[in-house]
Amino acid sequence: MKLTPESKVVIQGNCEPLMATHAARMKAYGTNVIAAISPGQSGQKLDDIPVFDLVEQVVAAFGAIDTTIILVPPYQALDAALEAIAAGIRQIAIIPAGVPPMDMVHLLRKAEATETLIVGPNSPGIIVPGKILLGTHASEFYTPGSVGIVSRSSTLTYEIALELTKAGLGQSIGVCIGSDAITGSSFLQWLQILDEDENTQAIVLVGEPGGNSEEAAARYIAETIDKPVIAYIAGRNAPPGKHWGHTGTLAAVVGRGVNIGTTQSKLTAFQEAKVPVADRPSQIPSLVKKALK
Amino acid sequence: MDLLEYQAKEWFREMGIPVLPSQRIDRPSDIKRLKIPYPVVLKSQVRVGGRGRAGGVRFVTNTIDAIAAAQTIFHLSILGELPEVLLAEAKYDADQEFYLAIVLDAAAHRPLLLGSPQGGIDVESAPELLQQVVVDQEFSPFYARRLTIKMGLHGPLIQSVSGIIEKMYQLFVQKDLDLVEINPLGVSSTGELMALDGKVSVNDRAIARHSDVAAMAEKMVQREKGRKYSLELGTWDEVDPASNIAVLGNGAGLVMATMDLLTDAGSKPAICLNIGHGRSWNATTPSFSDRLQQGLEFLSEQKNIQVVLVNILGTVPTPAELAQVIVNFVQRRERMTTNRSRTQSYSPRVIVRFAGAEIDAAKEQLATVQVSVAESLDEAVSQVARFAKSSGRRK
Repeated sequence: MKLTPESKVVIQGNCEPLMATHAARMKAYGTNVIAAISPGQSGQKLDDIPVFDLVEQVVAAFGAIDTTIILVPPYQALDAALEAIAAGIRQIAIIPAGVPPMDMVHLLRKAEATETLIVGPNSPGIIVPGKILLGTHASEFYTPGSVGIVSRSSTLTYEIALELTKAGLGQSIGVCIGSDAITGSSFLQWLQILDEDENTQAIVLVGEPGGNSEEAAARYIAETIDKPVIAYIAGRNAPPGKHWGHTGTLAAVVGRGVNIGTTQSKLTAFQEAKVPVADRPSQIPSLVKKALK
Repeated sequence: MDLLEYQAKEWFREMGIPVLPSQRIDRPSDIKRLKIPYPVVLKSQVRVGGRGRAGGVRFVTNTIDAIAAAQTIFHLSILGELPEVLLAEAKYDADQEFYLAIVLDAAAHRPLLLGSPQGGIDVESAPELLQQVVVDQEFSPFYARRLTIKMGLHGPLIQSVSGIIEKMYQLFVQKDLDLVEINPLGVSSTGELMALDGKVSVNDRAIARHSDVAAMAEKMVQREKGRKYSLELGTWDEVDPASNIAVLGNGAGLVMATMDLLTDAGSKPAICLNIGHGRSWNATTPSFSDRLQQGLEFLSEQKNIQVVLVNILGTVPTPAELAQVIVNFVQRRERMTTNRSRTQSYSPRVIVRFAGAEIDAAKEQLATVQVSVAESLDEAVSQVARFAKSSGRRK
């Protein structure tokens, strides 16, 4: 993991208004944005950031790049990520929603073989408050501190960062692993990263209905995580079978149990793992304070 | 998006997966032009399961019986769904029935091959017989053979069944599917295979890159007459039709958290509308501000809605831009209310929860119209609960 202001970052995108907005925001936050890649627009400048046609041209000019932020339409995300991996980049944040799952399967095979960490898709990326912004997080809700947030929902990550900030609890990192059915890195990977991170003293895990990654995380916390973890799961009252905007619930499959992926099954898993669960975002700061005592 | 059986079987036929001769029946009189010899099976084309048990599948041996059965099935609602078409299919005598499926396993991040030597409706009663093979690397036919061995198949069935699985996998990848299922796969006394029923789910996120699927999806949306709200603007869900509260938010997680808090406060919302994020990739989809405006218009057209909680956090437009959209909306609604009689039109109460940088300017703008501003989610929820209760009493 390289998440320092010195990390070299590029942005791959061809949606100019969006890329310009977020490139400027990242740079203003102190992120070392080396270059933007926008095919056919090399030689131009984007808010003082030089534009290149290919990722490998940036590497040739500036040396190895640590992270890329992929801001392309969803059907082009696989290609952009493969280009980054081919150019030696090993940390990738995929911002768009709607990357087809089979594209992610293809990409993850490549990522595992090359030990590349992928955040997203359908994610605002990573923020280390006061240090580096890798993606589109609304940075105004964060303050530097020692609580790590790992979440599946971008806006809920902001909501919880805001509640912590209001209570005087800063954050060591905010990461949204993404809301799509198939995401790059998992809760497990991030729990492990935060458990090893010396700036993190407590972890807030934020989940929602669909899939079974929260259940797996609960078991992992009970078995291997030493730092206090507080969980919050949205959607206790969401009628089952509705989409809620996400595709986290894949087709129900024979032989897998009817309760898989419900909020109730996730809450039960955290109770069994003895992980405190907040009823509402505003309850999280007091649970964190209690756990840190 | 789930395909109907006859649509799934058209794809099977194109892939070379064996299916029976069949014919689409749009109305009972179509039975007279049946080209398949009797006996024939008539099947209700609905997306829900359990149609056999519900009486949606009938065997018929002559035209008179077939017309009567078709009339019955066309009027038979299965779990609330009426068929638009029926499928007439030749009858098949199977010695054995298998279950085959391919799904995406979100935990393993890989496609999963599933198979059971006991197919048909029996597959649910014997989950212990269901075998799994994860397609860990690029697909190769040995994955399919591995599944057939786990299913306990012998001799020529190993090659013939894995041939079907291979074709299912090609379809799965070509069309970006969430699920392809053959249940049952009939096996005749001579070892001949036949896909007797099929289920196909296309991943909603990949529809736009398949022109044939996009055309099917468009027809389906047109058929869903109740859905006035364009899916391009966001997703909406009806929660509790008896309520007078609506939630509008950006992001599914935030909308669900808001719904949970309202429900805990005894004010379950009627509708939740998620207008999505500010990061839009397609120049033809409306901007975030447009989606906010159209979302507010949509909610105010719902007759039961008296209060709308707008909860927006961290997106590309500034709070001042969003406040302007809300101010314009409220002013336009007020003008409509004064121009018409009060019974024809009314304005829902709008409660806005704003947070983050630059909110002072937004608050000043909102102070010019009748909009309540809350600075925290808890405060917004208690304002909504108070208003919903007092307006409920007035009725």
